[in-house]
Amino acid sequence: MTSSNWIKIIIVVMIGVSLGLLYGWVIDPIEYTDITPNILREDYRADYVLMVAEAHENEQDAESATRRLAIFGSDSPAQIVASALEYANKNGFSQNEIILLQRLLTAMQTYQPQAVTAP
Amino acid sequence: MKIIHILLALLAGLGLGLAYSWGLAPVTYVDANPAMLRSDFKDQYRLVIAVSYASTHDLTRARARLELLGNTDSIVELNAQAQRMVGASESFEQVQPLTLLAADLQQGVASIPSTSLPFLSTPFVSIPTSKVINTPAAVTPTEEIITAETQSTSDAITPTTSFAQTALAPVASSTFAPRPTFTAIPAPGAPFALVSQDAVCEPGKQNGLMQFILIDKRSKQIAGIEIIVTSNLEEDHSFSGFKPELGNGYADFVMQADTIYSVRVVEGGTSISNISAPTCTDPKGTSYIGGWLLTFQQP
Repeated sequence: MTSSNWIKIIIVVMIGVSLGLLYGWVIDPIEYTDITPNILREDYRADYVLMVAEAHENEQDAESATRRLAIFGSDSPAQIVASALEYANKNGFSQNEIILLQRLLTAMQTYQPQAVTAP
Repeated sequence: MKIIHILLALLAGLGLGLAYSWGLAPVTYVDANPAMLRSDFKDQYRLVIAVSYASTHDLTRARARLELLGNTDSIVELNAQAQRMVGASESFEQVQPLTLLAADLQQGVASIPSTSLPFLSTPFVSIPTSKVINTPAAVTPTEEIITAETQSTSDAITPTTSFAQTALAPVASSTFAPRPTFTAIPAPGAPFALVSQDAVCEPGKQNGLMQFILIDKRSKQIAGIEIIVTSNLEEDHSFSGFKPELGNGYADFVMQADTIYSVRVVEGGTSISNISAPTCTDPKGTSYIGGWLLTFQQP
């Protein structure tokens, strides 16, 4: 096989690779359907935390709020609320919503889980 | 170069490209939306929407949030989740926000008017959701929705399947107006009284079916009322509203033949005793076990 043929083969392979990438990344990329909440977009995360804050304002139950925030993974509840509060401050949330988030943040910062004693 | 060589090279390249794009470096999502959540996380998300609604009573916003989950019928999903939770022996207090939201969505109005949250110095008004979620789209509110709610939250949201970051919508100014009061949920302790007890002899119905209808003083059906049915064999707790297709105030229980039951509506403690399945006769003269329809009303 001559060198010009090798060049042609390489060019064709490159075209094939390009088509493969185009198909795999653009035309039919892998679709995720069963995702975990930790990769939710930031505004959805903030809205979720706001819902927890709204519920907490009524229930005043830090344990329930902590449990609800735990779906975001390994971050501490206070960190999760602090991130949401930061987003809220930057994105024009209302004063009432920011107050709710601040109160939830305070509750999460001061929350001490009850120790479970071994039998 | 033969055409076969070109084709083989093209296929090899295509294979390499797909292997890289699907296997080695697939598209990774970092900005997902709630519709893509795993079903158990969707349940958690839905529950938080419901408990938030129980606090704010902002029906338009709750509806918009539910739409983010991408379900075709939010009411069905809420009721199904409530049933699953009851089946998993969750407490009534945990299930009630779901049934309350489902009932209110079905009626199109908040059963409890929006009030100031107890620790806020300023009135808690409906907030336009457009600034919370980046991809607002118009949702046509039902006619029954209170005007004050639709004014302040008319920019509702729909789920998005795109991950492109879109610009934040401008924050619309909210208008606050007092909302009318509704009394579909009874005040704690308000007693229910038995207003009718009718034998149901319909051969097509399930044998021994004891049906309950709970209504308020304006004859509006009420969801979330606990009913306890006891016999010498068992004690059953059920709640109105778990079968919304039959009415928000509907609940039922299947009686056994030759068993005496007492029924108590927890709100108010009214107790009806000595109830047993009636014996009915069909047109051919065959006997079968009938049922009861008990209607309780809050005076």
